[in-house]
Amino acid sequence: MSKEELPEVGDNLTLETDESRRDFLDKFSKGIFGGLIAGGIVNALAPVHAKANMDGSNLNFSTPFKPFELPPELTGEDAILRMMRDLQKALKKPIEQRHWNMVIDLRKCVGCDACSVSCVAENKLPPGVIYRPVIQQEIGTYPNVGHVTLPRPCMQCEEPPCVPVCPAEATWKRPDGIVIVDYDQCIGCRYCLTACPYDARTFDFGEEYIDGAADAPKVFLGKEKAGKYETDPSYEYSKEWKREGEKSPIGNARKCHFCIPRIEKGMLPECVVTCIGRATYFGDGSDPESLVAELIALPNAFRLKEEIGTHPSVYYIK
Amino acid sequence: MTREKMGNILVWILIIGFGVWGFPGILDRFANAHAHTAYGSYIPWGLWISAYIWLIGLSAGALMISVMTYVFNVEAVKKVGKMAFLVAIATLVGAMIAVGLDLGHPLRAFKLIFDPNLHSMMGWMAVLYTAYFVTLCVELYFAIKKEQVFGVKQKSVKKILTVLGIWSIPLAFAFHGGVGGVFANVVAKPFWHGPMLPIVFLAGAFLSGGALFATVAYIWRPSQNKEEFLKMMIFLGKTTLALLILDEILELSEVYVGTFYSAYGEGNLWQQILFGQYWYTFWIVHILIGVLIPLLLLTLKSKSPRAIALAGLLIAGSFLAVRLNIVIPGMLDPGFAGIAQAWVHSKLTFSYLPSIVEWQVLFFIVAIVMAVFMLGKTILPIYQTAGDE
Repeated sequence: MSKEELPEVGDNLTLETDESRRDFLDKFSKGIFGGLIAGGIVNALAPVHAKANMDGSNLNFSTPFKPFELPPELTGEDAILRMMRDLQKALKKPIEQRHWNMVIDLRKCVGCDACSVSCVAENKLPPGVIYRPVIQQEIGTYPNVGHVTLPRPCMQCEEPPCVPVCPAEATWKRPDGIVIVDYDQCIGCRYCLTACPYDARTFDFGEEYIDGAADAPKVFLGKEKAGKYETDPSYEYSKEWKREGEKSPIGNARKCHFCIPRIEKGMLPECVVTCIGRATYFGDGSDPESLVAELIALPNAFRLKEEIGTHPSVYYIK
Repeated sequence: MTREKMGNILVWILIIGFGVWGFPGILDRFANAHAHTAYGSYIPWGLWISAYIWLIGLSAGALMISVMTYVFNVEAVKKVGKMAFLVAIATLVGAMIAVGLDLGHPLRAFKLIFDPNLHSMMGWMAVLYTAYFVTLCVELYFAIKKEQVFGVKQKSVKKILTVLGIWSIPLAFAFHGGVGGVFANVVAKPFWHGPMLPIVFLAGAFLSGGALFATVAYIWRPSQNKEEFLKMMIFLGKTTLALLILDEILELSEVYVGTFYSAYGEGNLWQQILFGQYWYTFWIVHILIGVLIPLLLLTLKSKSPRAIALAGLLIAGSFLAVRLNIVIPGMLDPGFAGIAQAWVHSKLTFSYLPSIVEWQVLFFIVAIVMAVFMLGKTILPIYQTAGDE
């Protein structure tokens, strides 16, 4: 068989060497099979002219370039950019005219805990203090089973049950809807912990991750240097907090505050920007043009334990 | 050796024993704050809060005895009014220490006296306890004064005592019903939430406090003849029995409503109380020691002061189990299934068994309560009855 009679692979692949029909079919089938496995969907999405061998030596650029068209859902900009614009816009309004909302798309959450971990890092949370755990549950009975992941930040309720119970008036709702704790006023009675229907408050028992670690100053980093990260101050509520002795926030109730210091600097909360699936949205719900306002209006948006009458500012989509 | 002397020796041995055993716990509390306690963020209140409502209940019960003396002029307890004040003060001090040590920042709590949040039931507690403490001290002052003045002046002092006694009735209902309200107002905890709890708290307080006073009055009764003493003890025994029956009716109602359709609501929590890991706190400590044995003593030996005193001690002592079985089960239900596994830490669990440090601190507090009573009894002329009548 002459090379002119050989079938072409794609539009641009030509065989340049003489080979037996058997050899050719062998290589051809291996190439197709290997390509299917190795390339997968990415390969399928790649431009057609890149489907030749890997070093590109066989590419025939004489054939017209056919750009690959993205599916419609991937053509828009990253939601983060729009949320950042929404945030900047909201910050120009007086505080009482904006209302921060969070929307979590449960269909996109994969339960990776990136939000929990980044929150711990951002706020330098000690052991036992967690603002945004991701609850994971298996549902159904084999073979019909499913996996549900539910990130649970503070719901920043419109009617927060944790606020009126505080005997020291150390916790209140800001005009923009964020429920905050004044660490310097909190007496550490933990009444608010019992009052929260979402278990969203935790108590700082004063533990540190380096507790019990060997000092070992000359071995590796040593305890002191290794612990510097968590003994450095945190900047919750835009104020410097150094955890030492029994000083606040040790001995206080602690909770998610939508990363107030970041918001005030025009940045999205840490859990929003670190979500690998873009499952967490944040913005000014009082702005009808914002992304969160659009999402809240979806018919499949819902809030947790709505029957209690707390009116959470956090919505979920399922 | 007289009963009083034996009582003194026994109580001082207990004070020293509890004090020595409990002291390391107190040191640990001050050195390591809450690090060695078993409560955490999902069960935020433990033994110390249970001890606080136990002790404040004993105080409210003792106060009611003084009300009987100075407001209702009950003959049988006319000579033990001052002692009732002293028991109320000692247990109030213990309760305040228990709740104080439970706080994350105890020193900040003093500001609540002057600037409480009156939307908070706990804020009200600060106001009511302050009022209660002041009332008790003033009442004790006038009760002692009454015995030391004669003639017309004595009548005016007696009037003051009656007025203060009348004032302390709504006060007792407010501060102890209010403690029930601290729990009952928490919508997030269905086991606590509801109108029944403040009433249950009050009934329990009057029962446990009255029962404790029966024991105290038996050991340290003021000088009085045998007949008077017997009359007093029988009165205290009958009161305790009546309150015990009332308290059990209320408890039966709670258990019945909580378990009848056990698949719903609080059924699971009642299952845990009755048949769970710590079943013995309900059946052995509360029902057997705190209800059945005292019930038998108070009915079969209703005229024996010793049996009445023993029944009182058993009820008052075991009532801590009742308080624990209110406080802890209320927090056992997670807000969301699986939350304890979402972020794993020993302070993020839904099980609770008091730690050694917690028990040590509790025993130290009990030692303080007993020491305050013993010292008060020694320093203050609570036995003097010269100006009486």
